[in-house]
Amino acid sequence: MNLMKDAIKIYAVMTIATLCLLFPKLSFGAAEIKFRHVTSIYSDDRGIGINHPEGVACNETPVLIVADTQNERLLRYNFQNGEMETGATLIKVPQLSYPGKTQMNSKGEIYTFDRKQRRIIRLTSEGKFKGYVDPIGMPSPHQYIPRSFALDNEDNVYILDIFSDRVLLLDVEGNYQRHIQFPENHGFFSDLTVDFKGSIFLVDSTNAVIFSAAKKSATFTPLSESLKQYMRFPTAITADERGRIYLVDRNGGKIIILGQNGSFLNRLSDQGWKDGRLNHPSGMCINKKGEVFIADTSNNRIQVFLILE
Amino acid sequence: MMKISAVYSQNFFFYLLFLSVWLIITGTAYPQNHAEIIPGAKGKVCLKCHEKFKETVRNRYVHPLMKNGECTGCHVPHASSHKNLLTAGPTRLCYECHKKVLPENAGSAHGVVKEGRCDQCHNSHGSNYKFILKRSGNSFCLDCHKDLNETINKNRFHHGAMKTGKGCLNCHEPHASNRFKKLLKNDAPALCLRCHTTDKPSFKQKHLNYEVANSNCNSCHNPHGSDTKGILFAAVHKPVSEKKCTECHAGPTSSTPLKVMAQGSELCLKCHKDMMDNTLKKDRVHWPLMNNTGCLNCHTPHGAVQKMLLKGPVSSVCGSCHSDTIELQKLSIENPENKIWCEPVKTGNCITCHSPHSSDSVLLMVKPTGFELCGTCHEWQTHSTHPIGEKITDTRNKNLTLDCYSCHNGCGTKNKPFMLHYGTTHEVCIQCHIERLKS
Repeated sequence: MNLMKDAIKIYAVMTIATLCLLFPKLSFGAAEIKFRHVTSIYSDDRGIGINHPEGVACNETPVLIVADTQNERLLRYNFQNGEMETGATLIKVPQLSYPGKTQMNSKGEIYTFDRKQRRIIRLTSEGKFKGYVDPIGMPSPHQYIPRSFALDNEDNVYILDIFSDRVLLLDVEGNYQRHIQFPENHGFFSDLTVDFKGSIFLVDSTNAVIFSAAKKSATFTPLSESLKQYMRFPTAITADERGRIYLVDRNGGKIIILGQNGSFLNRLSDQGWKDGRLNHPSGMCINKKGEVFIADTSNNRIQVFLILE
Repeated sequence: MMKISAVYSQNFFFYLLFLSVWLIITGTAYPQNHAEIIPGAKGKVCLKCHEKFKETVRNRYVHPLMKNGECTGCHVPHASSHKNLLTAGPTRLCYECHKKVLPENAGSAHGVVKEGRCDQCHNSHGSNYKFILKRSGNSFCLDCHKDLNETINKNRFHHGAMKTGKGCLNCHEPHASNRFKKLLKNDAPALCLRCHTTDKPSFKQKHLNYEVANSNCNSCHNPHGSDTKGILFAAVHKPVSEKKCTECHAGPTSSTPLKVMAQGSELCLKCHKDMMDNTLKKDRVHWPLMNNTGCLNCHTPHGAVQKMLLKGPVSSVCGSCHSDTIELQKLSIENPENKIWCEPVKTGNCITCHSPHSSDSVLLMVKPTGFELCGTCHEWQTHSTHPIGEKITDTRNKNLTLDCYSCHNGCGTKNKPFMLHYGTTHEVCIQCHIERLKS
């Protein structure tokens, strides 16, 4: 009787092992992710070429905002069904001199980081100046230098303050809520993002390490060991609706995809000039449709990809 | 009945096992005609032929195995896979016994020790120097550390510790340091305080009555000597050389002496305002300048070996964050295919092309275009007959024009020749001239 039971157990284990070998994707629940190049955006509707863009913002609407950094302006496109619907609308306000990372909130308002003034600027969805996002009521206001920012699903603002080694959490109106101090033993933080669960992620460019803090957490902890084997110098980070993390490797010309737990999933594209290749990419945006927009900085263009799983 | 037979068969198995072991131990299971080892076969016999080692045994210091005539401790008498009939590879042999020489989590280790090249310093059989060293004294260390030797010889003012007692070994461990960098026996100031007492009036006076017993002496003083009195570093920050510490620090009688007046670049701004204003006017600032460490990310506040008070050579300072690019540069230098060299890449002088503080150009380039930048050293117009310039569009990308970066990578390209992006000239050409692509 016991012999029979043992035989059944061995058979079951062997069957599971065989299935795992034959269908590894099923067994780990992680399908392979790939990018398909859709199109590249090179200029505005007057034919003026994009010059070293460093930011790109997208959402579920067809609106696409490009930070045309070296031309000191923002461009607004309508992108639908894999094509540009109309030409670009120029957004140029005197308060904005050198746009970098750009994001839209749930109302379509545009937030952009002016890297020359080192200030976050808020524009209406039509591109009219609405105000600076200067944290109201934060501790040590004189010891504040922002490097980047991120918005969450509820339009709260998260600011990477590199002078005081902290991430500031502000409400929609820019009122200080709380802050989280940078972790110990970190290199240089270039960017941050907030995922659908409200977790904050920081990218340490010099050590290629990701740090995370859950929604109500007061500390950052490393999400991964150093990922130097996969990338050279990651400078931007974003997350998709499934919580996957995307890193923009500026020096390596690649996009690195990590799972929610920091595990390596894939590394896409490569250094180059032709469509589909990247040259010093600086920013990235991904929407629920699986459209990926990359500010391909040294190639003077925005590249559009579609995620294939 | 079944149980009894099982017990019997179990006992029989153990008897059989015991018998086999006993036979092996007593040697009765083996034939008796093996070769007999003659007395002294482990080493003394060797000296019959290897006569020169008879002299070695007479040395003042002899390796214990050699002394005891146990050549077989390191050598196999008949045949070996290793040179000199060694029992293990020459880089591993010594570690078979001397395991503690290189602790597992050492703070730092001597390069030759890490590589297992013990014979670089020690004579494996014997010598007239303690620890069977090949030679003794500082000159032995400085035979390899030639740059340091040259500097020390040129210096006007010397550190006494280097010329007394154990010399270099007064401060450094020869093999590895358990906890400290640069093979140091301890960190400053603990190491320095072994010889220097801080409560002497003359010491206090020299340090403007600041309590410096807990400060890092190496912040101002070069432990290997210098041309400046007090063995201060070659490049000294002006307030230090003028003994105006209060320009940056609270006074010695303050409740918080040595406390800096402001954090990060704000402190430097007091004197270097023009430089900072010019820096901040540019479109792109080197971000580390903006954090709370500010200028001190790259510069030291008191003194340095390097010019401009840099923390180290340019490539090492830049490499502390941009290790990926410095790695690329190093690999490119080692590449035998690179016969022609871009001088800044060869010397690791990143600031020839990149502005370390700020710039209006991408990647903090000192000039806006490849032509202008490369043109400061290279006459690119005579480079080739291929049309390049601001009017020539790159066929791979309509928003780019053909310039030096189209074919070359300014920071180096590992194993590719002439700092090209691709391995061969043909491969470079076919990026645009697809019709030339070989099938």
